[in-house]
Amino acid sequence: MIGLGHYLLLSGFLFSVGVIGITINRNVLKILLSLELLLAASNLSFVAFSRFNGDYAGQLIVFFVILVAAAEVAIGLAIVVLMYRHFSTLQADQLKDLKW
Amino acid sequence: MISFFFYLFATILILASLAVVLARNPLYNVLSLVVVIFCLSSLFILLEAFFVGVILLLVYAGAVMIFFLFVVMCLNLNGQTLNALQQSRFRLLECLIGVLFLSEFSFAIKSFLTAPAMPASSIRGTIETVGKILFTDYLLPFELTSFLLLITIFGIVALAKGALSTGVDDPVETKPIGGSQ
Repeated sequence: MIGLGHYLLLSGFLFSVGVIGITINRNVLKILLSLELLLAASNLSFVAFSRFNGDYAGQLIVFFVILVAAAEVAIGLAIVVLMYRHFSTLQADQLKDLKW
Repeated sequence: MISFFFYLFATILILASLAVVLARNPLYNVLSLVVVIFCLSSLFILLEAFFVGVILLLVYAGAVMIFFLFVVMCLNLNGQTLNALQQSRFRLLECLIGVLFLSEFSFAIKSFLTAPAMPASSIRGTIETVGKILFTDYLLPFELTSFLLLITIFGIVALAKGALSTGVDDPVETKPIGGSQ
């Protein structure tokens, strides 16, 4: 029988993979993708809690998280494109100045 | 049957999430993330959160990931920008974070083995039930989300305009960024 613990363990694993991706990758695009993994992991635990507690609030929060993530990706990728235009590379170490 | 599908999608999810982090080519990273989103949506449907699962598939895999793919292909990354496993100056910190997460994960497994089983509730996240709550209790956050999206459009236009006016590149090359939203 699949219980809440299974989903939470899977969500925790996904979150850990995302954090590891953020720390080991220097590519800005891959860091953004790992951030998406973190959001996906939190979404999974929200829906699992919603299912096992009998409360719809978790699913609504997932709905809002999806919307906010779409906005975040749009801005983030615009910055990535600008960064590539300016530095011709995607290494995060290049972003040393507050203003270029 | 449910447990079979859970383990199937969980296995694919784990493999695809590792591919997101470890694959060298950004194209493969993005495509694995599409697989991750698909498995996540299947798990949501197993949890009987139908509306959120379908929205995740439509908005995330359909729009956001294709946007990622569009940017990856547009940037025309050459081999020099792809070497992801560059020597990092924060190697010690990274090892520390890894050990921290590993120990927390062992705690999680330990409590998972001893936790009592909790019965699933009977709620079903159909469009009707979720929509009713969305437009009554959560009406203000829902309206504020439209405001957030408006600000996002402003931000992207400001970024694109800045690139045009500072003359970083010739205007012919900076023009396509206006189409990023």
